Amino acid sequence: MTVPGVMSLAHWRSKARLDVWSLVMLGAIGLLGLLLVWPIGQVLVLGFLDAQTQTFTLSNYQKILTHPYYLGALKNSLIVGGGGMLGACLLGVPLAYCTARFVVRGRSVIATLAVLALVSPPFIGAYSWVMVAGNNGWLTQNIKTLGLTMPTIYGAHGIILVFSLKFFPFVYLMTETALRNINRAYEEAAENLGCSATARFFKITLPLVFPAVSSGAILSFVLSIADFGTPSIIGRDYRTLSTVAYNQYTSEMGGPPTMAVSISMLMIVIAMLAVLLQRYLMGPRRYAGALTNLSVPKPCHGAFGVAVHALCYSIVALATMPIAVVIYTSFLETNGPVFTGGFGLNSYARVIREVPDVIVNTFKFSLLATLLITLAGGLISYVVVRRETAAAGLLDALLMVPYVVPGVVLAIGFLLCFQYGAFDLIGTSTIIVLMLFVRRLPYGVRATSAVLRQIKPSIEEAAVNLGASPLQAFARVTVPLMLPGVIAGAMMSFITAINELSATLLLYTARTTTMPVRIYSAVLDGEFGIAAALAALLLASSGLCVFVVLRFSQSKEAAFV
Amino acid sequence: MSQVCLINIHKSYGRHAALKGINLDIGSGAFFTLLGPSGCGKTTLLRAIAGFHAQDAGDIVVGGESISSLSANKRQVGMVFQDYAVFPHLNVFDNVAFGLVQQKVTAADIRQRVTAMLQTVQLDQLAQRMPHQLSGGQQQRVGLARALVIRPKVLLMDEPLSNLDAKLRVELRRDIRQLQQEFGITTIYVTHDQEEALSISDQVCVMFDGVVQQVGSPWLIYKDPQNRFVASFVGSNNFMQVGKLEQPQGLLLGQPLALPPLVWAQPDCVAAVRPEKIVVNGPLSGPGIRVYGTLRQAMFTGRELQLTVELAGHGMLEALTAPSEAMVALKAGDDVVLGLHASDLQYFAAGETGARLA
Repeated sequence: MTVPGVMSLAHWRSKARLDVWSLVMLGAIGLLGLLLVWPIGQVLVLGFLDAQTQTFTLSNYQKILTHPYYLGALKNSLIVGGGGMLGACLLGVPLAYCTARFVVRGRSVIATLAVLALVSPPFIGAYSWVMVAGNNGWLTQNIKTLGLTMPTIYGAHGIILVFSLKFFPFVYLMTETALRNINRAYEEAAENLGCSATARFFKITLPLVFPAVSSGAILSFVLSIADFGTPSIIGRDYRTLSTVAYNQYTSEMGGPPTMAVSISMLMIVIAMLAVLLQRYLMGPRRYAGALTNLSVPKPCHGAFGVAVHALCYSIVALATMPIAVVIYTSFLETNGPVFTGGFGLNSYARVIREVPDVIVNTFKFSLLATLLITLAGGLISYVVVRRETAAAGLLDALLMVPYVVPGVVLAIGFLLCFQYGAFDLIGTSTIIVLMLFVRRLPYGVRATSAVLRQIKPSIEEAAVNLGASPLQAFARVTVPLMLPGVIAGAMMSFITAINELSATLLLYTARTTTMPVRIYSAVLDGEFGIAAALAALLLASSGLCVFVVLRFSQSKEAAFV
Repeated sequence: MSQVCLINIHKSYGRHAALKGINLDIGSGAFFTLLGPSGCGKTTLLRAIAGFHAQDAGDIVVGGESISSLSANKRQVGMVFQDYAVFPHLNVFDNVAFGLVQQKVTAADIRQRVTAMLQTVQLDQLAQRMPHQLSGGQQQRVGLARALVIRPKVLLMDEPLSNLDAKLRVELRRDIRQLQQEFGITTIYVTHDQEEALSISDQVCVMFDGVVQQVGSPWLIYKDPQNRFVASFVGSNNFMQVGKLEQPQGLLLGQPLALPPLVWAQPDCVAAVRPEKIVVNGPLSGPGIRVYGTLRQAMFTGRELQLTVELAGHGMLEALTAPSEAMVALKAGDDVVLGLHASDLQYFAAGETGARLA
């Protein structure tokens, strides 16, 4: 006895129930199509057009891959990207090993300092090193009085230094988590089978944390290649792809920016290759992790203990040096661009008097973007985690795109797309908010998804079984459980939004200037007082958010990677 | 309380048919257990009753009314989950009150009903605790209280004890059975543990490959399995190839034996004997066969002695005996003689679910 009428009703109902989330899915795909696929598509297409005749051509790419100017930039990008990645590993892995395997005093201080270094805007590192070791730097001057000449900080090695110190926290935090989660029995088994301590490290421990190390390394590489502020400030004549793309774009104003977009595509391809390479290397290396029987840090004493502590603290001290320099500089008395000696609040007074709108802009844009990211991110992560459909897979893949697209590139795409009719957003606040939103959305989604994956579906089923409708179950059970992740994600989005430079630099106008943009131009103009005061404000805001994340997130420092 | 009728339920996932026409009548107030190996469709069936997924065809009738068209939150069937699914952000009291709040019961009534229910499951001292402060057993009591307090028409339990350790499992099993009888609630219980199923149920339904194999009281299921799958899945059993001689003589373990006519007529069949029915080193009290073998392993479990005996050319047989002095003295390599009564033998047709012949 089947009851067809009843059954079709049941089917209709279950379909209707899906529809709320199907709408979310459709909306999300549409949004990412508009803000991500379209701009990048424009960049892609324009790279194949002749600047004069608007016909199909390969000459742009041919020029990039043959002309020494562009080839040099490509080589330089690979050098500083590879150097930054290597440096990040050389600092991050030993630090992770020390803090995971030995009782290091003030471990949480080390982790917090690493996180602070991570969330501070990248160009602040470059700017601080110029303050310390640049032509008129404090260290340069002091060494000069001793009659010695200091090697210049400008150039590839300066960029690599800044990148290493900026991005090592990724490697450190990822590797440390992995090291802590290795079942102690693996290492004990190796020892039992006759491995010496060194052999054990290279044969067991390192292979087991390789996925984490390589994730951190690739992230450092991709971000190094994409970074614009650092090579621009400390590179001098050392051009990388991102500075060349920016300069090409600003000099091609008027004509179609075909060369700038071709360089952009090259940057995307390099980043994608790096990510694919890492996936390929990781593919066969999926280890089932048992969280039981974790290793316990060993106490370290005597000279060895001193060496371990010295290593840990000097790494994080070096990495947080720029922060200290910025804060110190912001309190120096100035008269115009000149430091007059002594301390004072002059720079802060000038900032509040001269550029209050810049501060207001930054927080307004960032808050708005964060709000959008939090709302969209919460809904999207629910769809991605709970629905195993092809559309959810597509959404997940689309969310990977911003990771590999440098800010300069997406900004060029935005400028190409949003210049017509109703979509004419050039020079508006909206275009900056949308840019911040789409660039940081994946980070928001990831933070929430991580929490959501730990919420068993049976929890929601239990609520439904007790009489809650699916939406009520989401609101009464899922949302409260997601909240810590959502708050952490929102804080992270906010931090990255207030510190965004590379994309905003192409989109801002006099009315929509943000703090990082103003800092950048102040540094180029030699107005270090204003730059320091603005940077100190950014750092204070970022620090406050870090504090909130550490309070709310269960995974603590690991929440930042 | 309510009678449950499942009428010709079908459910497929892509090409895989998970349920192939399930028809069951579950009496009002019965403790009804779905028993089977993983992948047999028992959980799929339970989740269809709960409304977490719709069946492709067929109807579910509770207390005379079809609930197939109701969404999961309107079905008034309480569910207890394998992983407890206790809301981690609510304390014990609020967890149990969740369904009543959903039903818009007044605050005073909620307080009174939750308090009474917590006393029933012996959690009244822990009402303000958060779930992470509870043991697994206590969390499952919360799950049980939460499902019962809404006075559901049917109680569904999805392997509720499988995440608990052995001793706690037996203890909570008793409590569940006692509560069920106290409330007189129709209960559908899913498990893969045959001992649990036999000990707790009024009726056991053995499922395999999306099909109901047999329904009956625990004693009937054990004593009188209707096919080979039930005979092998419920309790342990020895299966032996049956050879044919001149009618009605057959050949079992190399010994001649008179076969029932139906068995003799079947071209390919097996005989089965429960280990506890095998007589070790003793006389037979009726017709049967005696075979010689070598003891390969003896395992003493306290209550009984499990013997693994190798019969030359006929594989291994398991036998269970009371641990007498003489039996415990047996060592691996010793010669033993096993006796099988003809009346203890059951015959099945070939195949995994071959029908019972005699």
